[in-house]
Amino acid sequence: MYAVRNIRLCTKDCLCLYVCPTGATDTETGQIDRNKCISGCRVCVDTCPSHAISLVPERYPPQQEKKASVLAVMRALSASKVKQEQLFAQLEQTAPSEPARRLASAMRRSSRLMAEDVLRESGYMLPQSENVQTLLRNELESVKDEAYPKDAAKRLMELLKQ
Amino acid sequence: MAKYVCPICGYTYDEALGRPEDGIAPGTIWQDVPEDWVCPLCGASKSVFEGQATPEPKAVPAASTMQAQEEPLRELSVGELAALCTNLAKGCEKQYRAQEAELFSQLAAYYESRIPMSEPKDFSQLLALIEQELKSDYPAAKDTAAANQDRGSLRALTWGEKVSRILVSLLGKFEKQGDAMLDGTNVYVCDICGFVYIGNEPPEICPVCKVPSLKISMIAKEAV
Repeated sequence: MYAVRNIRLCTKDCLCLYVCPTGATDTETGQIDRNKCISGCRVCVDTCPSHAISLVPERYPPQQEKKASVLAVMRALSASKVKQEQLFAQLEQTAPSEPARRLASAMRRSSRLMAEDVLRESGYMLPQSENVQTLLRNELESVKDEAYPKDAAKRLMELLKQ
Repeated sequence: MAKYVCPICGYTYDEALGRPEDGIAPGTIWQDVPEDWVCPLCGASKSVFEGQATPEPKAVPAASTMQAQEEPLRELSVGELAALCTNLAKGCEKQYRAQEAELFSQLAAYYESRIPMSEPKDFSQLLALIEQELKSDYPAAKDTAAANQDRGSLRALTWGEKVSRILVSLLGKFEKQGDAMLDGTNVYVCDICGFVYIGNEPPEICPVCKVPSLKISMIAKEAV
């Protein structure tokens, strides 16, 4: 577990600089130097008066298993939300007035967010999960399109492997 | 005197209290509340409000009676893969993994570029699609999630259903009022659940997912 700082909450009280035994909290980027941070130390977390520092785990537990019947109904909704997103996107381009395009834009975003939420609850919540590894592996094997960013997929598999 | 509850955000209209801020005097019965009155918290139309009654406990179908879906799940479409990847990019961002977030964004951009165009639909046809979803897909999905005690899925379905209801509410209003609905006002979308709000200021917290307003974004007006 290493420390991370939420810049939006940090009020520059600097207590983390006083207490860090390795100087990991004092950097020019505002982020904590992960290489210097002592795993699980948490002194900065407890001392920060604005609660801007938290610990991020190196490893995550396996994800909750999803029942096939739940996945089937969730999949129906992710399909329809994605479809609606695309239809709103088309309206955003073609609607005859600014207000109509703005409304279509809002609803396109809204539909995407609902699709994302349904999909993440369909076994793809955690980037480090086995499901994500399997998905990336299958895509690397099956997608023949030249434009598919293979290197990105391969790199992700390495970086996220637990 | 009866009470009526907004199914989206939980705001309660109490006939005894009325809503003096909106010119509705205490003691005004529900039937006399103007049809174009909207929920003061989330903007839902009057027609979606429900009378407050203790609901009959709903019989939850036992998991075993649900049809087992033995056939393999259909493959994810490119549109779904795009949404999956943007969501995983967000997940990486929350873990301060900027590199991984960027890589997922690359994958998402690829899938997005491969989404086939479909037969265009107008606002009314989209309204009908979402209404259909609210009538059949959401209730079926919520029953299945409840039967399997899958509260994570139930959470996503509950938010999605509420947001879909708001979309239906707004699309219905747009059908009647047209562009005037957005005259001199703003459109906001909650970055977390997708709740859409029309008004001058975003609500302090999202009425659906309760996130604070710093996570609620305004849709920019087109530059003239």
